[in-house]
Amino acid sequence: MNKQENIKAIEISKTLKGRSLWVDARRRLFLNKAAVISLFTLIIISIVSVFGPFFLQYNFSDTDWGSIYQPPSFETGHYLGTDGNGRDLLVRILHGGRLSLSIGLIATFVSVFIGVLYGTIAGFFGGKLDIFMMRIVEILYAMPYLIFVIILMVVFGRNIYFLFIAIGAVEWLTMARIVRGQTISLKEKEFIETSKALGQSNTLIIVKHIIPNLAGPIIVYITLMVPSVIILESFLSFLGLGVQEPLTSWGVLISEGSREMETAWWLLIFPGSFMVITLASLNFIGDGLRDAIDPKEY
Amino acid sequence: MQSIQKNIKNSDLLLEVNNLNVFFDTADGKIQAVKDVNLFINKGECLGIVGESGSGKTQTFFSITGLLSSNGYCNGSAIFKDFDLISASEDKKREYLGKSIGFIFQDPMTSLTPHMKIGEQLSEIATFHDNLSKSEALKRALNVLDIVKLPKSRNLINSYPHELSGGMKQRIMIAISLMCSPELIIADEPTTALDVTTQSEILNIFNDLQKGMGISIVLISHNIGVIAETSDRVMVMKGGKVVEKGSTFDVLTSPKDEYTKHLLSCIPPWLEG
Amino acid sequence: MIKFITKRLIIAIPTLLIIIAFGFIMMRVAPGGPFTNERALPPEIERNIQEAYNLNKPIYEQFFIYIKNLSVGDFGPSFKYKDFTVKELIISGLPVSATLGLSSIFISLILGSFLGIIAAIRKNTYFDYSIMGISLIGICVPSFVMAPILSLFFGLYLGLLPTSGWNGGNIFNLILPITALSLPQIAVISRMMRSSTIEVLNSNFIRTAKSKGLKSSYIIRKHVIRASILPIIEYLAPASAGLMTGSIIVEQIFGLPGIGRYFVVGALQRDYTLVSGVMILYASLLIILILITDILRAYLDPRVKI
Repeated sequence: MNKQENIKAIEISKTLKGRSLWVDARRRLFLNKAAVISLFTLIIISIVSVFGPFFLQYNFSDTDWGSIYQPPSFETGHYLGTDGNGRDLLVRILHGGRLSLSIGLIATFVSVFIGVLYGTIAGFFGGKLDIFMMRIVEILYAMPYLIFVIILMVVFGRNIYFLFIAIGAVEWLTMARIVRGQTISLKEKEFIETSKALGQSNTLIIVKHIIPNLAGPIIVYITLMVPSVIILESFLSFLGLGVQEPLTSWGVLISEGSREMETAWWLLIFPGSFMVITLASLNFIGDGLRDAIDPKEY
Repeated sequence: MQSIQKNIKNSDLLLEVNNLNVFFDTADGKIQAVKDVNLFINKGECLGIVGESGSGKTQTFFSITGLLSSNGYCNGSAIFKDFDLISASEDKKREYLGKSIGFIFQDPMTSLTPHMKIGEQLSEIATFHDNLSKSEALKRALNVLDIVKLPKSRNLINSYPHELSGGMKQRIMIAISLMCSPELIIADEPTTALDVTTQSEILNIFNDLQKGMGISIVLISHNIGVIAETSDRVMVMKGGKVVEKGSTFDVLTSPKDEYTKHLLSCIPPWLEG
Repeated sequence: MIKFITKRLIIAIPTLLIIIAFGFIMMRVAPGGPFTNERALPPEIERNIQEAYNLNKPIYEQFFIYIKNLSVGDFGPSFKYKDFTVKELIISGLPVSATLGLSSIFISLILGSFLGIIAAIRKNTYFDYSIMGISLIGICVPSFVMAPILSLFFGLYLGLLPTSGWNGGNIFNLILPITALSLPQIAVISRMMRSSTIEVLNSNFIRTAKSKGLKSSYIIRKHVIRASILPIIEYLAPASAGLMTGSIIVEQIFGLPGIGRYFVVGALQRDYTLVSGVMILYASLLIILILITDILRAYLDPRVKI
């Protein structure tokens, strides 16, 4: 081997070194145009929802009886029109976005927390405990859980904090299943056996070795769960069981819009578009992440 | 010189492959898996193809039979009895596949359709190519089971793949390839997934097919011992290229290429001789 | 087979019991419920409830009586609809909901699987891209957005189809609700079917089938579909649960007098007997569906023993 070839080989080995699993996954994700565009869209929608209202001249709860059902117009400053109470639709959509997105995030966090804990415990300890815990999941799976949430909302009142918990508490089942499956396959791996042989405690093994290795599937699942939670909240709000006036969410706006679409189409179309674009972005990101973390040939 | 040799052998020639190249489109660009391969197979002969995994030996024959995965394509020619398999249309090629050319795959565990009974997987090929009725095809299937030394039983015909052992499945695969009395069988690592005793039983079946029934066999393997046992001629591949070819005896006793020498040196000494 | 079904039904009992107990407890603890003291009810409903729930007996006995009544299909009197039992309300809504639900599930299964298979066979062609694009819309546009838009467009602007009412099950009245209900499921099923078919097409046994020289149409029919439809069968129960909740919305928007409508009205008016009756009905339907799923899976995949 001559000198030049040696240098080349060293360079190659350098580039190979830097390509860990996560670096590789990130490279694949950024090659996916749909995912990148979606990521930008989502970031923009989030930023605009959070900070947008500060820069607009109208307040989300200010009624203006002089300008009800105004169609979208640049002159009046009601860029997306007004509703039946003369409130500015754009501000309301942005406020609704804050709520819908944060419900999506918080409820997802709640369910991921429950699901990961439940799944790792069942999968790690196995045996009778596992059978028992999974039987419970199976029983809960057979329940029409959305109907459950509706009933919970009816019984305990339409409290927004309770909404977070109710949604989170029913969405954890799939997470628990995925995590359990992954934990069982991880448990067989050599590095876990090594930790056991070194006398590390079970808690330490779960927290330091199992959960970090579950990061891939969990991240993918989160991106797919956030949209389903947003839909769930909107669904409840649509039925009048979710967020209450004067607070608003995309579901509330769509619900109002669908009742008044004959007189004011913009009340349905604009909130609907915001929500659909967000859901589509999340789906694209989820798909992109799945392909990036767990690449298959199609 | 080479053309004279070909002319002499012409009457016996079954398959002749010229300038075959195989490419794959991957995320990292175009990759050439097979580079300018030439080979021929005579009637009743067993040709062994040796090489490490990734040497292009399997893809050579996948491309000839049109089994490349969807991102792969090839050029060159593969004349099977005056018929070019590579330039042929799908429909035309189908008349030869399964009928005159049988294919046996590396992994018998996953190569049979899990939800179909063994009998149907055997008989469908005969109902399709030879227009047999279902019962005639099943009768033929029973006879073929005899050739691969499986019991001629209705029980076996009515079982599903998951109820059989690996060795049995590979025999079923061989039986499938024999259903329409082929002239050529391409066996891609037929014994790799099996244990040693089953391996030698399967190789014996191949010997019988070649010597007893005059079927030409292409035996693809990374195991030079398997090749030595069965082939008349051998071809060594590396990195998509043919590095050495000749009669099995010549290649094994006096290898010319460095890589072949290296392959031979990997055989443990107690197996030599 | 019979043994398998019995075993499954026995396993299902705890699920059902939990749901019933949930409904039972809810009726007792919920604010404004039938058994709290803060109520101010017309005397005839008061009397109905007293009789139906044997409130003078101990609570565990009440629970057994409740279960016994349920087992003969007696859900008790409605809390809000005078002169109606829950059973009567459910029976009146069932034809509407069943027509909607069953047609939607059939349409989604058949259309979704069909589109998915074609997309998989023509992978990375414009046909594939357009099916997957449309199905993405189906996934991202929830039924409560899709339904009003459909009714706005086809009903109000084009005037082609009626936007509300049951009209004795007239086919034109059904088109929009069934479309709104099926679209999300068609979308999900076609995507699932596409990816599972692609996976099967790449599998070793399909390579074997190709090496036999069989026609592609025959390979798809005999070798591919039975393997690739398995995930769809698994999805049957979740899909039905999705249709149940979807029908709540769709019946509301299109003004159809189905069970879902009663459920919403019941929930908003705190008609607990009606709500728990519908919940038990839905749960039982889901349990039966899961059983059907298991049987179908065993039929399609010989490796599954029943």
